[in-house]
Amino acid sequence: CLITPNLKMAALCSEFGDLVQIKKQLISVISLCKERGLVHSVKWASELAFALDPLPKDELPPSHLVSEEDVQDLDAFALAKSYFDLKEYDRAAYFLRGCHSKKAYFLYMYSRYLSGEKKKDDETVDSLGPLEKGQVRNEALRELRVELSKKHRAGELDGFTLYLYGVVLRKLDLLKEAVEVFVEATHTLPLHWGSWLELCNLVTNIEMLKSLSLPSCWIKDFFMAHIYTELQMIPGALQKYQSLIEAGFSKSTYIISQIAVAYHNIRDIDQALALFNELREQDPYRIENMDTFSNLLYVKSMKPELSYLAHNLVEIDKYRVETCCVIGNYYSLRSQHEKAALYFQRALKLNPRCLGAWTLMGHEYMEMKNTSAAIQAYRHAIEVNKRDYRAWYGLGQTYEILKMPFYCLYYYRKAHQLRPNDSRMLVALGECYEKLSQQVEAKKCYWRAFSVGDVEKMALLKLAKLQEQLTETDEAAQSYIIYIQEIFSCGEQLEHVEVSTALRYLGQYYFKNKLYDEASLCAQRCCDYNDAREEGKALLRQISQVRDQTETPSGELFVSLSDNNTPIKRVSPLNLSSFTP
Amino acid sequence: MKYNDTGKVVGLVCRYWVTPYKISVLSLLYEMTTSKIALQEKRRLNKLILPLQQGPDLQLGQFLKTVEDCCPQTAFAVKIRLNEMADGELKDMEFFFTTLPNPTFDSEAYKTSVVGLFIRHMLLAYNKLSFSQVYKLYKSLQHYYHVYDAKPVDGQMGVPTFVADDSDMDLTSTEVTIGDKMERELDSPLLISELRNEDPVSRGPLSQKQAEYFLAKQAYLLKNDDNKALRPAKLQEELNNMLKFNPDFAEAHYLNYLNSMRVQDIYISTHSLLHYFDRLILSGSEGKSNGDEGYGRSLRYAALNLASLHCRFGHYQLADLALQEAIRIAQESNDHVCLQHCLSWLYTLEQMKGSDSSVLTEDSVKMAAHFCLPYLASLGIQSLVQQGAVQGKSAHELMDALKDTDILHWKHSLSELIEISLAQTISIWRMYGKSTMAQQQAQLLLNMSSLEPVNFGVTQNNTEAFAVALCHLAELHAEQGLYGGTTEIFKHLKEQFPPHTQHAKLWMLCDLKIQFEKHMNDGKYHLAQPLVPAIRAQNKTEGLYRKAQVLKSLSRTTEAYRILQKLQVHCEKTRCTETIIRVLLSTAELHWESSDFSTGLPLLLQALTLSRKHHLQALASRTLLHLAFTQLMLGVPEQALSVLHEALEPILAHGGIMDKGRALMLAARCQMALVATRPNGREQAAVAIHTLDEAASYFSTLNCKERLRDVRYLQARLHSSLGQTAQRNRCAMLFHLLDRELQTPRAPTDMRL
Repeated sequence: CLITPNLKMAALCSEFGDLVQIKKQLISVISLCKERGLVHSVKWASELAFALDPLPKDELPPSHLVSEEDVQDLDAFALAKSYFDLKEYDRAAYFLRGCHSKKAYFLYMYSRYLSGEKKKDDETVDSLGPLEKGQVRNEALRELRVELSKKHRAGELDGFTLYLYGVVLRKLDLLKEAVEVFVEATHTLPLHWGSWLELCNLVTNIEMLKSLSLPSCWIKDFFMAHIYTELQMIPGALQKYQSLIEAGFSKSTYIISQIAVAYHNIRDIDQALALFNELREQDPYRIENMDTFSNLLYVKSMKPELSYLAHNLVEIDKYRVETCCVIGNYYSLRSQHEKAALYFQRALKLNPRCLGAWTLMGHEYMEMKNTSAAIQAYRHAIEVNKRDYRAWYGLGQTYEILKMPFYCLYYYRKAHQLRPNDSRMLVALGECYEKLSQQVEAKKCYWRAFSVGDVEKMALLKLAKLQEQLTETDEAAQSYIIYIQEIFSCGEQLEHVEVSTALRYLGQYYFKNKLYDEASLCAQRCCDYNDAREEGKALLRQISQVRDQTETPSGELFVSLSDNNTPIKRVSPLNLSSFTP
Repeated sequence: MKYNDTGKVVGLVCRYWVTPYKISVLSLLYEMTTSKIALQEKRRLNKLILPLQQGPDLQLGQFLKTVEDCCPQTAFAVKIRLNEMADGELKDMEFFFTTLPNPTFDSEAYKTSVVGLFIRHMLLAYNKLSFSQVYKLYKSLQHYYHVYDAKPVDGQMGVPTFVADDSDMDLTSTEVTIGDKMERELDSPLLISELRNEDPVSRGPLSQKQAEYFLAKQAYLLKNDDNKALRPAKLQEELNNMLKFNPDFAEAHYLNYLNSMRVQDIYISTHSLLHYFDRLILSGSEGKSNGDEGYGRSLRYAALNLASLHCRFGHYQLADLALQEAIRIAQESNDHVCLQHCLSWLYTLEQMKGSDSSVLTEDSVKMAAHFCLPYLASLGIQSLVQQGAVQGKSAHELMDALKDTDILHWKHSLSELIEISLAQTISIWRMYGKSTMAQQQAQLLLNMSSLEPVNFGVTQNNTEAFAVALCHLAELHAEQGLYGGTTEIFKHLKEQFPPHTQHAKLWMLCDLKIQFEKHMNDGKYHLAQPLVPAIRAQNKTEGLYRKAQVLKSLSRTTEAYRILQKLQVHCEKTRCTETIIRVLLSTAELHWESSDFSTGLPLLLQALTLSRKHHLQALASRTLLHLAFTQLMLGVPEQALSVLHEALEPILAHGGIMDKGRALMLAARCQMALVATRPNGREQAAVAIHTLDEAASYFSTLNCKERLRDVRYLQARLHSSLGQTAQRNRCAMLFHLLDRELQTPRAPTDMRL
C-alpha cells in the first residue's frame, strides 16, 4: 500500500488544530480497514469521523492509490473478500494463497486465523471428555506464528500484518513479544485503533506504560485516556478526555461514553448518569456500555428508568450480553433475585469472559443467601480478571456473613490494595478488625477511610463509638464533632444518620467536663430528635440544677443558638487540627 | 498435621470416555479372547488387565512394553491391529468397534464381570459419539499411534530405561512393578510444559485420572520425601499449566499451597489455600448426601488451616486470631472433632509462644480420648511428656506415659507417632545423659521399617523425628570424637533435608554446635568466634551462651560475666534448666580464673541440686567434677578424690570423651597431691601416672593438644619424683614438642579443670 507511509507522515506531524487533516486521515484509514475486514477498527474510526465536520467535495482524499501488485490480485482479492464477508474463511484463504500484494497477504493470514478461531469455538461444543474442554486450541496459531515471525525478521510486515502477528502471539500467551510487536505496529500504522486497543489489554501497570516508546500522534491521546481509565487513574483520564473535547471532538459518542464510564468508576453517579442520558439521546440504539448505565440506575434505585432501558434494549437486541445484564439488574432491583441470576447466567452463556456478569451474579446469590454459589461466582470473576476489586470485596462480604471476620480480612485487603482510596473497603476492614478486637488497627482503618473521603459517612461514627468503648473520651468527642460537621456540611439527607447519638455523647461529655454552656446546647439540639429527646431533657434538668448551685449562665449563648445552624463549630473548645487517632 | 484432602476425588466423574488408550486396551482384550495364548502367558495378561483398565492413560510405547513383558505375541498382534486402524481409514476403526466381542453372550467376558462391564461402557460411550466426535477420536488415535511410531529409535518399545533393572519381572511382582513403572514414567511424560515446548506433537490430552494421579503422587512425595518430588519451580509450572486447562481442579490449588510452603512463600501459599477452600466449599455444597454439613465443615477447616499456615510462618498473633475463629464456628456447629483439632493447635500455639500450656494439653488429651481420636490424644500426651521432661517430672512417669501411648500407636498403626515417640525417647535419654540408651533408641528408629505402605518407591524418612534422631546421633558421635562419622551423618542430613526445607534448621544448629565445640577443644578460639553469630541466628539463648564461652576463653572476663548473668535471668524466666546449670558451671569457672575458688562453691552446689532434681546425670557428673576441682584447689585432695569417685563411674560409662579425659586428669592430680601425705607414696605416683596415660589417650583421640601438653608435664614431674629419668626425659620431650607446636604460652594448669 503506497498510502501508508504518507498517512504515517501526516499523522505524525499533525496537531489537533488541524481537524481537517485528522478527518482526512480517518477517512483513509476507514477504507483501508474496511478492505481488510477489520470491522471494529472501522467502527471506531467511523464514529470519530462522524463527530467531525464533513469535508467539502474537493478536500476528500483520493480513494485509492493502486500498486501493480494490487492490480494483479484484484480479482482474486475481490472474490476472497466476498467469501470472507460470508464467514467462509477457508475458502477465502484458498483463493488468496497465490497472491503477492500486501493487502491480499493480510487477508489470507487473517482468514486463516479466523478460521482457526471459528473451529475452536465449534470444537468446544463437542469435545471428547470433560478435561479436554479447556484444551481446545486454535490449531492454526502455531503455523501462523512461524510464518509471520519469518516475515517479521525479514522486515516484510506492514502495519496490519504486524497487528495480526501481535494477536497471534497474544493468543499463544507470549505476552512480552506481543507487546513489542504491537508497539511496532503502532509505529508503522498509528491510525489503526486495533493495535492500540490490544496494547491497552496487555499493559498491566503504569510503570510498564511508561517504559513503552509510542509514536507521538493525536491518536496517542485517545490511547492514554483509555488506558488511564483501565488502570483506575480516573483524574488523568478525565483530563485527557476533556482536552480532546476541547480540541474539537465534542460530538463524539465514543468520548462521551468513555467519560461516563470513568465517572462511574469513581462513583460520581450524577455526572455519569447525565452523560449516559446525553449519550442515549444522541445514539438511541446503542447497546454498548448500557450495562454500566444500568448499574448506575440500580445504585440510584431509579426503577422506572431502569425498566424503560431494559424494555428498550430488549426491543433492539435481546441476545446481547449488555441486554442480559441490564435485565438482570432490573430484576435485582425488583428483588426478584432468582430471575436476575438467570439473566446473568444467560449473559455468561453468551460471553463466558464477561467480567461484570460474574460479579453481579455473585451479588444476586448473596441476596439469595446462597453463599457457596456466591463464592463460586466471585471466584470466577477473579479468574477472569484478578484486578476486579468488586469480586474481592464480595468474597470478603460473603465470609463476613458466614461470621468469619479473620478469614475475610484477606479478601478485603486484596480489594483495598486494588482501590487504595476507596473508603468502603477501609470501613469493611475496620469492622473486621473491630470484631477481632484489634482496636488499634480498626481505628487506623476508620481514620484512613475518613481521610480518603468517606462515601457512606459511617467511618467517623464508627471511630467515635470505638473510642467511646475504649474510654478515650477526648478523642471520641473530637470524632463526634467532626462527624456532625461532616453531616451538616454535606447538606443532603443521608440514611443511617446518627447525629442524635453524637449529640447525646457530646452533651454528656461537656457536662462531665463542666462545660455547661456547650452541654446545654447539645442537650437542646438533642431534643430535635425523637430517640434522644428524653435524654436531652434530662440533661438539661441536670445542667440547670448544677447551675443553680453555682452561677447564672450568660445570655450570649442562646443568641448564637437561634441564628446558627451548626453551632457546635463555634463553641467547640477543642482544637480540631491537632487531632490524630 | 495437615488436613490433606488432595487424594480425594471431588465430584467423581462417572461418565466414560473413549480415548485412544482405551481403544488399545480394547484391542488387547479382543486379542485375548480371540487368539490362543499359552496358559502361563494368559495368566500374566489376566493379572495385567485390572491395572491397565483402571490406571491412568499410558502412552502407547509404555502400554505395549507392559503387554510385551507378559506375552510378546499378543503385544505384536495389538500393535498390528492399531497400525491397521491408524494407517487405514475411519471405517477401520468403526469396523473394530463392530467386531468387539459382545459381552452378553461371550463366556469369557461375562457381562457383569470387570472386563464385560468395561467393554459395555466403552461401546456405549462410543455409540453416543456424534459424527464429528467420532472423526475427532479417529484423528487422536492416529496421532496416538504415530507419536509412538515416529520414534522407534528409543529402543524397540520406546521406554528402554528400565529394561535392565526390571528384566527379572515375574508373575509375583507384576503389579508392584507396574506401579513402580508408572511412577517413573510419570516423571517423564507428565511434564506438560516440557512436552509442549520441545515436542509439541507428542502431547496427548491430560485426562482427569492422569491429573489426579499426578497430584496424589506429588502430594504424597511432598509429605514423605520432598526431595523426590518435583523441584518447587517445576511443580509450580506444572500446576499452573494444569489449572490453565482446568481451573476447576481445586486440589491443584492445595498442592500449590503445599509447594509454596516449601519455599516459604507466604503470599502464594495464602492465596492458594484460600482459593482451594473457596473451591471446596463449592463442591461440598453441591453434591454428596450431607450437603449442608459438608459445606460448613470445610469452612471450619479452612479457618483452621489458615491458622496453621500463620503458625508455620511464625505469625503467632494472626494464627491465634484465625484459630479463635475456627473454634468459634466449630462450637456453633457442635463439631467436636474439629474443636479437638483446634484445641491441639491451641496448645501448640501457646507452647510456641513460650507460655505454659500443660493444663490445655491435659484437657485436650482427655477430650480426644473421649471422642476416640487416638491420633490427637497421643499427640497431646507426647506434648505433655515433652513439657514434663523440661519441668523435671520423674523419669519413670514419662517413660510409662510414652510406653502406654506406644501401645496405642501400634494398635492403630500410627507410624508417624511411633517415630515421634522414639525420637522423644532419644531426646529424653540424651537429656538424662544416658548416651548408650539414646544411641540404641536412635538405631531402633533408623532401622525400623515404616508401617506406611511404600508408595512410589519412597519410604517415609524425612519427618522431623528422623531429623532429630540423626542430629542426636551426630552429636553422640562428636562427643566420642568420631568426627568422620559425624561428617557422614551431616552429609546424609544435607541430602535428606536440603537447606530450604522445614526441618533443616535442626541440623544446621547441631552442625554449628559441633563445629564450635571442636574448635573450642582444639583451642582455636578465633575459629569458634565467627560461629557464634550463626548459632545466635538459629537460637538466641544458645548463641549467648556460646558467646560467653568464647569470651571466657579469651580472658575477657567482665564481658563474659555480664552475659552469663543476663542469660541466667533469662533462663530462669523460661525455665530452661539445662542452660541454667551450664551457665552456673561457666560462672564458677569464671571465678576460678580470678583464683576465687570459694565463691564458686555455692553456685556449684546450686547446680548440683538442680541437676539431681531434674535427673540430668551428665550435668550432675560434670558439676561433681567442678566441685572436686574446687576442693583440690582449696587444699582438700582426699575430699576431692572421694567426690570425684562418685562422678567417675557415670562419666566413664556415658560421658563424652572430653569429660572422660578431664575426669581422669583430675583424678591423677588428686592422687599426686596425696603422694606426699600417704605412706605408700610411690605406689600412688605410679597409679597417677597410669591414670594420666589413660587421660592422654582420650585427649589424643580428640587431638586436644593443650591438654595433652598438660598431661605430659604432669607425667614428667611424676617420673622425676620417682627417679625414672628415661621416662621423664621421654615425657619432657613430648611436652617440648607439643609446646613448640602450640606456640602459645602454657596456661597455668592449676587454674583449669
